[in-house]
Amino acid sequence: MSAKSRTEKPAKGSATALSLKSLSAYYGSFRAVKDVSLEVAAQSVTALIGPSGCGKSTLIRTINRMHETTTGARVEGTIEIEGVDIYDPQIDPVRVRRSIGMVFQKPNPFPTMSIAQNVVSGLRLAGQTNKAALAAIVEDSLRKAALWDEVKDKLNQPGTSLSGGQQQRLCIARAIAVKPEIILMDEPCSALDPIATLKIEELIRTLREEYTIVIVTHNMQQASRVSDTTAFMTMGEDRAGYLVESGPTPKMFTAPEQRLTEDYVAGRFG
Amino acid sequence: MSGRVGASHPFALSARDLRRRRLNRMMRLVIAATTALAILPLVGITVLIVSNGVGRLTPEFLFNGPLGSPPGIVNAIQGSLAMTFVATLISAPIGIAGGVYLNEYASPRVTALGEYLIDVMLGVPSILAGLFAYLAIVPLLGFSGWSATIALSVLMIPVVMRTTQEVMRLVPAGLREASLALGVSSWKTSVFIVGRTAFSGILTGVVLAISRGLGETAPLLMTALGSNDEAINLGAPMSAMPIVIYNNAGSSDPQMVAEAWTTALVLFAIALVLNVAVRFKTVNSRIA
Repeated sequence: MSAKSRTEKPAKGSATALSLKSLSAYYGSFRAVKDVSLEVAAQSVTALIGPSGCGKSTLIRTINRMHETTTGARVEGTIEIEGVDIYDPQIDPVRVRRSIGMVFQKPNPFPTMSIAQNVVSGLRLAGQTNKAALAAIVEDSLRKAALWDEVKDKLNQPGTSLSGGQQQRLCIARAIAVKPEIILMDEPCSALDPIATLKIEELIRTLREEYTIVIVTHNMQQASRVSDTTAFMTMGEDRAGYLVESGPTPKMFTAPEQRLTEDYVAGRFG
Repeated sequence: MSGRVGASHPFALSARDLRRRRLNRMMRLVIAATTALAILPLVGITVLIVSNGVGRLTPEFLFNGPLGSPPGIVNAIQGSLAMTFVATLISAPIGIAGGVYLNEYASPRVTALGEYLIDVMLGVPSILAGLFAYLAIVPLLGFSGWSATIALSVLMIPVVMRTTQEVMRLVPAGLREASLALGVSSWKTSVFIVGRTAFSGILTGVVLAISRGLGETAPLLMTALGSNDEAINLGAPMSAMPIVIYNNAGSSDPQMVAEAWTTALVLFAIALVLNVAVRFKTVNSRIA
């Protein structure tokens, strides 16, 4: 996976899309994520790996301010996008979520909507009504999500009529349609069979050309297949998750700096 | 049973197994019997109402007023439909909004308190709703369709509110998350994603409330009073099917009693059609 070919492209590839600084996330008084600082390069895939319960999902949900939608949940520290702290009190979380898409563990198309309606649901609910423009976005997003050829003849059927893997790609298309710059994926393949998983992984590699992707995965092979950078988290004595180290994926899997990382990627714990 | 399995074989039926089988058969019979017992009154009521009421069910009965010849119940049908319709217009928006609030916005403590209060309201005997309207509303609006409408709304709002909240709670959290993560605002998520997904369930709640409103007698007796007037005027005393049934059923005149049965049949048919229609409308929609 050539991190090089992208750095050869003009400046954008090496720019920082996201920078987390001393980020902690709480559920009530319980600190689930402790003091994470991490830079995410633009147009790259960053994988968050680590044992169950180490706060990977919590961390990824702080990036689009979904964490705070849980009652009692809050965040300390900052996340900067293009120099702006998205946790600044002047920032509207709804706007943040519009520029950061998210794909969840379980495919969750809206059951009352057709395939096409699902794709443009975010735009329609934001007030966009131009039918021709929406139709163009349906096709464009489904093509980008590598689903167009499979569904172009049944755009009016319910989104829930598709197979699990297709539903997940529909959810990716739905996220793409609102034109985000960053896409977060929270174990997007854990509910899918190996073939559907492979398709999603191929898709992630294509999407990297245009989007910055952060993916949480349980599956270390998946992290090594799709990501440019890997960040390894684990939890401490106080059950709070923390970042052990992050670095270029090949290095993380062959010569990590920390003993903990080495033990984890070798399968000695977790 | 093949003879090749001897009694000493580990899989062979023992006396204990036979006892268990017998007990199983017996318990099945018992629960089937209780189910039948529960359905029996329903069947009984249906048979009784149809057999006693169908004789007088003529167009004249449906379209003549009580003073016509032959007398009919057109004013009672109109009154029931008008008062229930207006009560639905009042209670559906309030009940739905309240249910949405309880499920989507209220803090857990407020939700728990709200649920408790609604459950109390649902358990309030309808005569108390009538008493409330008699003491609080009738002095202002007089014995009238409006007073009855308010009494009915008091009974219908908690039905709609509870059902709305329950069905919205059944909508998977993943859909709400998906919507919020798309940058859809919180109220639009509540209405267009969660509310839309729960729509058929909410509609069922409204129909349940309508059925309840159509069948209530006590609050109507204390507010709408009953009337022979055929005009649809909510500002004056009004007739309603339950009032006719109540007034006529106790009469010593067999003619009047027969009219009560037929009115019951009409009321029963309207409620049944309403429920079946909604069942058909919502049977295909789903909460995934």
